[in-house]
Amino acid sequence: MATTLFDIAAERLEESTDMDRLAARGTLRLALKEAGLDVENLSVPQLRAVFEKLMPNELDMRGVANPAATCKAVMDDIASAASTADLATSKSPDEIFKRLGGS
Amino acid sequence: MEEYAFLPPIIASAFYLVASVRLFRLYRRTSERPELLLSVTFAFAGVYYFAYNASSLFGLDPWSLRTEWMLEWVYISSVFPYMIFIRTVFRPDGAWAGALVAICSAFLLVSTGMGTIEGEIVYSLENTWFLVQWVGYTAPCVWMCWEATLARLGAQKRARLGLAQPIVVNRYLLLMLFAAFQVLACVSDLSLAHDMTSTRTISMISNGLLGGTEIASVVVLWLAFFPPPFYANWIERRAATIPTAVGG
Repeated sequence: MATTLFDIAAERLEESTDMDRLAARGTLRLALKEAGLDVENLSVPQLRAVFEKLMPNELDMRGVANPAATCKAVMDDIASAASTADLATSKSPDEIFKRLGGS
Repeated sequence: MEEYAFLPPIIASAFYLVASVRLFRLYRRTSERPELLLSVTFAFAGVYYFAYNASSLFGLDPWSLRTEWMLEWVYISSVFPYMIFIRTVFRPDGAWAGALVAICSAFLLVSTGMGTIEGEIVYSLENTWFLVQWVGYTAPCVWMCWEATLARLGAQKRARLGLAQPIVVNRYLLLMLFAAFQVLACVSDLSLAHDMTSTRTISMISNGLLGGTEIASVVVLWLAFFPPPFYANWIERRAATIPTAVGG
């Protein structure tokens, strides 16, 4: 059962491509690592940036047809499904350090 | 030179107290724990540095042993909220981080408690309690340096995707530098203990290292918590023109 935003995204990716569960989760994990993001504390805007800027290339390398369109379809699906899974990020280190410096 | 050795800690104490007030005001607006923890850390550090050097500043007699021990407790009181801040911000779910906080706290409480009971402040490499206390307050500084380094690396990647602000990336760098200077200050404590063990006088190297790290710490914290507009603009401009140099 999908519980986190990462789980939802990996599940949608698996459904939209020929990748199996392990490959879909692994590919997404690699992209998130490259983006400097934490799997446990993802937000929808962060995931959107990953699917727009990094995932098309990752899918292309794995022979997925129409990677850009696939990413857009997955992201549209997530945006509607993930509203409850989107974690508040006010406690993320970035948000804390933004506040501490008054910016 | 030696008669002015108290000046860097006095400057640092003034800065810590101002930063503490600013962070406390921020806490009253946000009710978030990190600002409160850092505010309390800086308040204890500011009081300690000021009180410890006040006798030199005002030309008073050296503090009594009892006062010095009270100041030792004030100092270690600044370390507890600092450790909890690191854990709260960087490792909220890490069991090992909780264990590290507990171990360092035990080191600080036992060493300072035993020192108080024995009734003598001995800055000596042969004094076990001094070394245990040193580990207790140095480990959090090393930990902060490590966490800020990791956070900066991650934030640099996020900034390239537009998910982190360059000024925030830079703030991690400044905190990393602050923690590194604090580690150096801790090393200067060992140098001081070595001086006291061998010659019973404090060398220029120990004084210079301690004073230099305090001033450097204040400068990087000032840039982190009170960034002047020219500095913030420079960081933003630099990130826009040299993407690989995001965050300084």
